[in-house]
Amino acid sequence: MQEFLQLVVSGIATGGIFASLALALVLIYNAMGLVNFAQGEMAMLATFVAYSLVNRGMSFWIAFPVTLVLAFGGGIVIQRVVIKPAERAPVLTLVIITLGLATLVNGLAGFIWGYVPRSFPSPFSPDSVDLAGVFISYRDLGVIAVSGLVLLCVYLLLQHTTVGLTLRAAAHHPEASRLLGVQVSWMLALGWGLASAVGAVSGMMVAPILLLEPNMMQTIIIYAFAAAVLGGIESPLGAVVGGLIVGVTVNLAGSYIPGVGGDLQLAVGLGIIVAVLILRPNGLFGRAAVRRV
Amino acid sequence: MSAILELENVHAGYGPTSVLHGVSLSVPEGGVVSLLGANGAGKTTTLRAITGGVRWSGDIRFAGRSLRRMSTEEIVRGGIAHVPEGRGICTELTVDENLRLGSHLRRDGAEVRKDYDRVFEYFPVLKERRRLSASTLSGGEQQMLALARALLMRPRLMLLDEPSLGLAPIVVRSIFEIVRSINLTSKVAVLLVEQNARIALDMSSTAYVLEVGRVAVQGAGAELQGNESVRRSYLGY
Repeated sequence: MQEFLQLVVSGIATGGIFASLALALVLIYNAMGLVNFAQGEMAMLATFVAYSLVNRGMSFWIAFPVTLVLAFGGGIVIQRVVIKPAERAPVLTLVIITLGLATLVNGLAGFIWGYVPRSFPSPFSPDSVDLAGVFISYRDLGVIAVSGLVLLCVYLLLQHTTVGLTLRAAAHHPEASRLLGVQVSWMLALGWGLASAVGAVSGMMVAPILLLEPNMMQTIIIYAFAAAVLGGIESPLGAVVGGLIVGVTVNLAGSYIPGVGGDLQLAVGLGIIVAVLILRPNGLFGRAAVRRV
Repeated sequence: MSAILELENVHAGYGPTSVLHGVSLSVPEGGVVSLLGANGAGKTTTLRAITGGVRWSGDIRFAGRSLRRMSTEEIVRGGIAHVPEGRGICTELTVDENLRLGSHLRRDGAEVRKDYDRVFEYFPVLKERRRLSASTLSGGEQQMLALARALLMRPRLMLLDEPSLGLAPIVVRSIFEIVRSINLTSKVAVLLVEQNARIALDMSSTAYVLEVGRVAVQGAGAELQGNESVRRSYLGY
């Protein structure tokens, strides 16, 4: 039982990481109706930026917000430079653009920092706390706290501010929003900035667990896809719940199902995607596409 | 009365298809003007040209200023509320959030609150359903929401595209009464596109009848209603 609870808690911690990246995917999916395949690579690049800052002697807790601001700005620049010129292009064109962007960012990081895995310092103590016989590491608790806080901030921004309101309106109803004076094009850029910053959180949280190298996010993005699809791809809340479910499931499957522990762990993530698409194509929080005519 | 909106020889269309072939019309400050005509005559395109939703040539002036090369957002922020065909309700959002989108650019808090009170007086049903998703509203209620939201922008001119579309006659009547009273009490000018010519002419000082992208007939509302040949050939009643 204790082992089970420990696995659940560390599953929630990894789930928080998946949830952040899944939320980034959902934010962009809502804004332009497609998944940004470069989301993981953008997060990896931001993590390298944080790494460089920490390496230059900056404390992690200063480098963290600085990186978020840079990632936010970078997301806006990418939207303006790469996405906006193709705004009216068919979805497939945009998909290819984000795939190209992923390759580009990956290559850029490799060019600057090389492919040798580097250890990224964890800001949390390696000790564990004993909660009624269940040992929970401060690292897991820290990741849960940071992801939780970031997700809460995004929720408050989207649901309780005017900017969040116009962001949601612009994403779902661009034509109607324009007629209400919403600057739709800038709202989409803001969405990219926000997604980029939220994704960067997942990168900075996962880097101390894995090792930092340009391909670091390539498995994480699969789990994030699984989380987003499970949550219904359009629902920010769904992405978070989906992330937690995927995190815990993968962790438990890795320990209790023989053979899944190592290489097959990723297959669990892919299995979730396939199962959701077959059994419940709209995910847990998605709605069937119904249009009033 | 000076004109708040003037269109002069406006040509417009979608890509290679041109829809308007030189439309000229004017809406007096605080007046109600209706734009009538058959399907495909260019009524909706005229409204879309005004708020920059379609490319046009010629000239469109609002409050004396040309709208050439202005984006939709700028035009709307200048004081034109456009309730588009199909109402433009954000069905992903709640009723309250839709209303807030109407007032989100205003900084005069006290006046905004007064306008909310007024809007809820006109449309009590919206107050009851504030917290519900806008997708749960009926067609008539969605039309009310669209009007309420337009009113909260505190515009100088409202463009209404077929507010009666798909609504029961009794709902249509109450909506038009409210439009009339908004026009009278707030001095908002209205440019009304309607299929339902009779009800539109009743409240309009001036009316234009479009035929394939041109103004075929224009005149005072009562005058057009009294002219039997116009009524038969263009208005269909």
